[in-house]
Amino acid sequence: MTPGRTLPYGQWRRLGRIDDIDLYEQKARRSMKHGKGLFVASFLVLPVGLYLWLVILPFIQAFQISLTDWSGYTTGFNYIGFDNFINMWDDPKQWVIPGFRHTGIILLVLPVIVIAMALFFAFMLNVGGRSQGGVSGVRGAGFYKIVYFFPQVLATAIIAIVWAQIYKPPTTGGLLASALQAVGLPYPENGFMGSTGLVLPGIIAVMVWSSVGFYLVYFSSAMAAIPQDIYEAARIDGASRTKTFFKITLPLLWESVQTAWIYLGIIALDGFVLVFMMTPSQGGPNHASEVIGGAIYKFAFGSGNDAGMASAIGVVLFLGVLILTLVSLRVTRRERVEF
Amino acid sequence: MSNPDTSDFSRRRLLQGTALGVAAVPAAGFLAACATSGGDADSEDVTNSGDAENPFGVDPAAPLDVVIFDGGFGDKYAIEGHQVIYKEKFPDAEIIHATEEDIAATQQPRFADGDPPDVLDDSGAGKIAIDALVNDGLLAELTPLLEAPSYDDPNVTVQETLVDGVLKPGIYNGKVYALNYAMGGWAIWYDGKLFEDQGWTAPTSWDEMMDLCAEIKKAGIAPWTYAGQHPYYLWDSLYTLAGRHGGREVSVAIDNLEPKAWEHESVKLAAEALYSLQDKGYVLKGTPGINHIDSQTKFNNREAAFLPCGSWLANEQIDVAPDDFVYSAIGIPPLEGSVQPELVWSSGEEPFVVPEHAKNKPGAYEYLRIMLSKEGSKIFAEKAQSPTILKDQEITNPPAAALASLVTTGENAYRPQLADWYIDFKEQAEPALAELMAGKVTPDEFIGIAQKAADSVAKSDVEKFTQEY
Repeated sequence: MTPGRTLPYGQWRRLGRIDDIDLYEQKARRSMKHGKGLFVASFLVLPVGLYLWLVILPFIQAFQISLTDWSGYTTGFNYIGFDNFINMWDDPKQWVIPGFRHTGIILLVLPVIVIAMALFFAFMLNVGGRSQGGVSGVRGAGFYKIVYFFPQVLATAIIAIVWAQIYKPPTTGGLLASALQAVGLPYPENGFMGSTGLVLPGIIAVMVWSSVGFYLVYFSSAMAAIPQDIYEAARIDGASRTKTFFKITLPLLWESVQTAWIYLGIIALDGFVLVFMMTPSQGGPNHASEVIGGAIYKFAFGSGNDAGMASAIGVVLFLGVLILTLVSLRVTRRERVEF
Repeated sequence: MSNPDTSDFSRRRLLQGTALGVAAVPAAGFLAACATSGGDADSEDVTNSGDAENPFGVDPAAPLDVVIFDGGFGDKYAIEGHQVIYKEKFPDAEIIHATEEDIAATQQPRFADGDPPDVLDDSGAGKIAIDALVNDGLLAELTPLLEAPSYDDPNVTVQETLVDGVLKPGIYNGKVYALNYAMGGWAIWYDGKLFEDQGWTAPTSWDEMMDLCAEIKKAGIAPWTYAGQHPYYLWDSLYTLAGRHGGREVSVAIDNLEPKAWEHESVKLAAEALYSLQDKGYVLKGTPGINHIDSQTKFNNREAAFLPCGSWLANEQIDVAPDDFVYSAIGIPPLEGSVQPELVWSSGEEPFVVPEHAKNKPGAYEYLRIMLSKEGSKIFAEKAQSPTILKDQEITNPPAAALASLVTTGENAYRPQLADWYIDFKEQAEPALAELMAGKVTPDEFIGIAQKAADSVAKSDVEKFTQEY
């Protein structure tokens, strides 16, 4: 195309030349015809309307309900101002404070472990092989990629049932504890889910196990986008696998890591299905595995009978997550690298 | 390019108009998405006309909506029993039946929508707290049912056919809102066949229990097991030991949140007795971490001799227990110096309620009346293996008979309510009870925690209930 010529949807502007290639930029049309604007908007009304009605409106209602004493069963309720937000911290049921504490632990630990493992596996399966020519993964990489993804295919309920069985005490056939006992290592006599010290690490282990596969695939595809020349250049310069990873792969993958971090944060905050299906008293033993999602559920739909309090906890959680997200995005921001 | 054609333009206008028109429709139903927008239909009270055949004026063509909890009693007694009788009486009535494991999850939306079932078996771990429903005016009170002529003998009211005192757990603010249908009770169960083979006799005192446990342990069987993951199963052992020792008043004081109720000497002795079980190694290894099914299966497999459990045990294990298993029950053997050694936790269990805004309330009352007939009661004993609250039943089912024989007089029956009434207490004290049985806290520490929990409930402004016999 000849620069400067006006075409139906905008002008081309020449930026310059790199090597033998001319670079052009297209300016977007600033104005649209009247009819067109309205026409497009009319098609958007339906989906946006549905979204507002079914997603945004319930969100806003949570704020409204948090200011009431609605039990969740009646068709009427009273406004009690900010009482729920104040009484939340008395926590006679010991759901809220242990819930925040344990969810905080999961939030700190889960993304770190999953991303570290997924990055390591993705690196080894794509780049870490010692082959003669080109860049490839370790031996059997194809096999590993398939097998590591298996847990993603399983429904959460199945994962919970299977792992609950694995974690049982030796007396009822728990795989892990029996194996430890057979080898002579220390083992939990009441099973992993029956021990206050091991129940939370046990739940986190299952969450890690079920998520690593997905992020392995995610990072693999991000790594595949890195041009081979960079790796070859590094190899020629004699970089070891570790150096290659930290100096080349990780910086180029940083955006993917950021995204993965946010997704895993969401999983950490949401995750109470495993707690409800695997632990005694849905948060036990003795409140050692209460999580905030579980606390909200118990107040709204369980024995708490207090949908107002549940909504209040939800609002506090929302504010906490908002602040955390803004802070973490700011702190981890880096220059975008194009290649 | 030339201007768009006028025909093009008008076609566009038509499409725009249609799109906007379609978008306007959801706005009308917009407010229905509000969680808080349910409305109440007007509800009429049911009256008892005194007629023997149809005292509540049931509409023979109106459908009946029944929800049964899928737990230890199952649902066969309803589907193959009571509903068959109702259908014979009202052949034109359609019976809509649902069996649910989680009552709150499935029925709460129906209550909030103003469309609850007609008959609700509100039981199980996911049950809706009945006092909450009563306080919100969501349940119909059952006086018309109790004053109606009984199904079998029109000269006697329904209430007169029931065992004394069984309606108490269903009484709120002086009126009966829940019909606790099964004659429930808790006991220490053992296998009669195992004891016969081994030459053991059931202990009649706590000291005998401890001696027998030593013998059982020598035979390679664990003397005790229990549902470690559900500490609720342990309250009977604690409360009955304490109540047998110090009299039923000990339990009444605890239920009424009286100060220092937990520091009563009988409670301390009971806690120490239970603590000593694991201290002496009489509890099956791993018990604190197993659930009710696993513990009951171990019991059926004769890997453990004694199991504290409720009246649903035999029916819950019906597919697991060996054919020659003989369910036998004793109240927990009393400590030395017990003043009321025959005290037993026994009362109506398995609450059936009729929602205030049910569509077919007369039908619901008639259904309950059928359940309380001799035939209805017999069906329940056979298919759920538990007695009902009907007086003078002939019970042929062995586990049901074993339990029924424990209750001697009305004075020896009691029903602790604390953990059921106050969820704050339950969440604080039940884990402590589990830890006591597991040996992780001492009896004194447990009593301290329980007293603290009870005191905090007493001070808080939740609604308080009174226990009296």
